Amino acid sequence: MASTNKISNISFGNSFTSKVSAAGKRIYNAIPNFKTVANPKVIEKIENFGKKCTSDKQRLILGATAIVMQPVIDAHNKHVDERTREVSVARTIAKIIAGTLTGVAIRWGCIKAMDMKIFKPSNFAKVSKDAFDQYKNAMGTIVALVVMMFTNFLIDAPLTKWLTNIMIDKDGTGGDKK
Amino acid sequence: MKTPDIMKNLGHWSAGKFGAFKNIILEKYGEQPGKMLVHTGVLGWILSSLAQVGAVVFNDKISPEQKVFLIPQEIADAAVNIVSFYVVTNSVKAIASKLVKSGKLTTPAILNHLKKTGIKIPKKKGDVSPIGKWDFDITKLANYDEIAPQFKSFKNGVDVGASMLGSIISCNLITPVLRNEYAAKQQKNMLAKMQNKNAKHLEAPRGISMAEYQNRAYSKYSNLKV
Repeated sequence: MASTNKISNISFGNSFTSKVSAAGKRIYNAIPNFKTVANPKVIEKIENFGKKCTSDKQRLILGATAIVMQPVIDAHNKHVDERTREVSVARTIAKIIAGTLTGVAIRWGCIKAMDMKIFKPSNFAKVSKDAFDQYKNAMGTIVALVVMMFTNFLIDAPLTKWLTNIMIDKDGTGGDKK
Repeated sequence: MKTPDIMKNLGHWSAGKFGAFKNIILEKYGEQPGKMLVHTGVLGWILSSLAQVGAVVFNDKISPEQKVFLIPQEIADAAVNIVSFYVVTNSVKAIASKLVKSGKLTTPAILNHLKKTGIKIPKKKGDVSPIGKWDFDITKLANYDEIAPQFKSFKNGVDVGASMLGSIISCNLITPVLRNEYAAKQQKNMLAKMQNKNAKHLEAPRGISMAEYQNRAYSKYSNLKV
């Protein structure tokens, strides 16, 4: 009896999944095709973005967009009072500046270091130059992440604190002395 | 076995493992930079979260009672960051990949290749064609190798752009909003606990001021993203 229930549960699960999947396919198929990307300059830019946009550049883009978006979100946080908001905005800006500076510099350095013999894989001669460049990007990023486990405390945290203190008073009152 | 032999063997073993690891990275990410961005992004969040948890675990100034509360809280915070990053970034990248693979988003060179293969190109609305349909996959065509270099270049560019867009939405929009909500809830709970404690002991307020508390709370609830 128990096994019959189990079987009916499974078949219900499969049928439900297949219905969702079929609905998803129908929605996707109903979306009209995009206009063909015909401009050769645009195609070249898209292709170059995939080839040349290494993780240090990606971190820079993430940092540049973060400094525009995150302080605005913190400044509109209705859950806290104005004083707390000021401190959180200052700290967010400081954190983004510190994180972006160290993140970009360490990633850039580690990707450059991938030209060293020790990091070259034995199979590198079998692949294209583009694939090897992508390997350097991936391996350099992994090494950078390990390095950043330490610099997170040694550089980011003190730099964030120092920058925050420049933007607000050290007691965290945002200028209002007790 | 003498100590130098052990060291020598350990050195050989490590070199072998590192060599294999390098080849795995080359094979896995050599032609998939978009995937690499998602995976290293998740790894970045995991490592920075481990650092955050480690900062609490190895901080002598935090009492064991406080650690019991703070460690699970840090882990929960990390889980939100990691899951949000992976789900959003990977989904945006997967959608972009599907658009290119199914031919919904394409270039004239790829279209010409499809035409040469004998696949009908839709010219006006209502034309029936497999291009752009869910089950159509350019990489599964018998003569895919002829267009592979151009197709891969275009797809990698779209993938990296989509991964970038996904990580911006996740790190700069969803995570800060969720973090603020979560921090506000925790702040309310902790303030209520502090007030209860003061009321119990009927003592003059000691320890930190409200402004100092808020400053500390916001110092804590803002992860350092590597």
